[in-house]
Amino acid sequence: MIRVNRLTKKFGLTVAVDGIDFEIPKGQVVGFLGPNGAGKTTTMRLLTGYLPPDEGEATLMGHDLRTDSLEIRRHLGYLPENNPLPDDIEITDFLHFVGRLRGLHDLEHRMTRVKSVLKACSLESVVGRKLGELSKGFRQRVGLAQAIIHDPDILILDEPTSGLDPNQVQEVRELIQSLKEEKTLLLSTHILHEVQHTCDRVIIINKGKIVADGSPSDLMGAQQDVTRLFVSMKGSQNEIESALRALPGVGRLNAQKSVDGVEDGFMIESESGRDLRESVFHLAVEKRWPILSLRQERLSLEEVFRALTQFDSAGAEAPPHV
Amino acid sequence: MSKFIDLRVVWTLARRTFSHTVESPIAFICAVFFYGFIGLIFSPQFFANNNASIDGVGALAPWLLWFVVPALTMGLISDEIRSGTFEHLSTLPLRDWEIVLGKFKGFALFAFFLIGGLVFYPLLIASLAHPGVGLDWGASLGTLLGLLLICFFYGAMGLFASSLAKNQVVAFILGVIFCTFFFFIGQFSGLFPGFLSQVADFLGVGVHLNTLSRGVFDIRDFLYFGSMTFLFLYFSVIRLSSRRF
Repeated sequence: MIRVNRLTKKFGLTVAVDGIDFEIPKGQVVGFLGPNGAGKTTTMRLLTGYLPPDEGEATLMGHDLRTDSLEIRRHLGYLPENNPLPDDIEITDFLHFVGRLRGLHDLEHRMTRVKSVLKACSLESVVGRKLGELSKGFRQRVGLAQAIIHDPDILILDEPTSGLDPNQVQEVRELIQSLKEEKTLLLSTHILHEVQHTCDRVIIINKGKIVADGSPSDLMGAQQDVTRLFVSMKGSQNEIESALRALPGVGRLNAQKSVDGVEDGFMIESESGRDLRESVFHLAVEKRWPILSLRQERLSLEEVFRALTQFDSAGAEAPPHV
Repeated sequence: MSKFIDLRVVWTLARRTFSHTVESPIAFICAVFFYGFIGLIFSPQFFANNNASIDGVGALAPWLLWFVVPALTMGLISDEIRSGTFEHLSTLPLRDWEIVLGKFKGFALFAFFLIGGLVFYPLLIASLAHPGVGLDWGASLGTLLGLLLICFFYGAMGLFASSLAKNQVVAFILGVIFCTFFFFIGQFSGLFPGFLSQVADFLGVGVHLNTLSRGVFDIRDFLYFGSMTFLFLYFSVIRLSSRRF
């Protein structure tokens, strides 16, 4: 459905997208993650035909982006970043306007589609109002409505939940869930929790390069060479800290303070995924420090994201794709 | 979908551009300025000269259009680029020619009504003229047609200027500069030697408007306005297709 091969885009000396490759089959929901300036929006703009690539190629629905951009745009729905919309037009008029430009020239068919997207995006209550009078949440939904008015095969959504309150985020998430049955979706977001729940696959991009590509659980699993252990013991905290630091296999160690002060302890990062629970247990027994809490934690996607996107700045090699 | 330019989408864009222009305060200000100035200057002249013709309108209007048209066109594309709506527009299945023609047609429709409003003057003069003397309708309609063609030409230049800048004021200044060139080059044709003088005369809008104002419909004048308008629309398409804003 979407095939990208060594796609590159430069702005002067800055390489915004640096020879990326990926394939997205039909019906997959892909979350595009990366820090600000990583190249997410540029990649999306390249795929929508807004920006021409400098090198590489991309095919969407079997059409070449360079030679057949018009045909691609017919099958594509796009919600740009910040969702720019004209202020001086009424919602239904705007959807009819976009519908006509999308080739829905038959009035009856267009009216059915407008009615359907107004319902799907819960916009019926604000019909009659101009776009400039709408709240950010409603404007975002109008952006989504115009993107799906022509029932596209591919949807590209650049930060669809940006600036929305939790209830609106939930509504947009439900809308995306309802669309994923029949469409290929590529969405970028900063809300990693959302990716975990919405996407079949995550592509993490940093400094124009793909640094990870896989399902959310795969990505979290791939980072299991770094495991964390939370330990809380009763006793002199200074002594406990030095003893824990001396244990073999302990990497970083940070004192953790809970909000209610009940569960103060230490977060230990092990080296090479080593399980430190037994060593900690034996230490506690030997020193006669009662264990109040001992739990091993999986890295959240947010931490995976941080680990992967900070690799480059540390000068280390990016981890392999999973 | 049409294999070539789809006139339905051009018309959709034109209608949207027209309604956006009509609802904008700038269009209102331009119309008041245009009609107000013409009324203010032409009326005393008309009664002083006691001549049943709209030559005064034909002489004055190009000076006003020199500012009015770039003011009307300055936001056509620059405003879309600045506000980001151009990204949405350019990811719709539209050819750059369709975008440019849609925008231009919307402006042209407004220009048609703006110049059409000047029909008031020939009608007024015809009603005031002595019986038997009458008004030269050919010259009057030629003048109005010439003004409309100037609007189209200036509008195409203004549209191109609007595609060059994100800032409307910059687009306006660029538009005025383009119009200035074609407005004055004919006036200063005497400064050029030999053949260049003829070229300068031909490039200026004045000589073509004068011919039409005499009621002479010469194909060369239509070719001039048509080709110059097309040229600047083509420049706008090239500019849009570069996608470097």
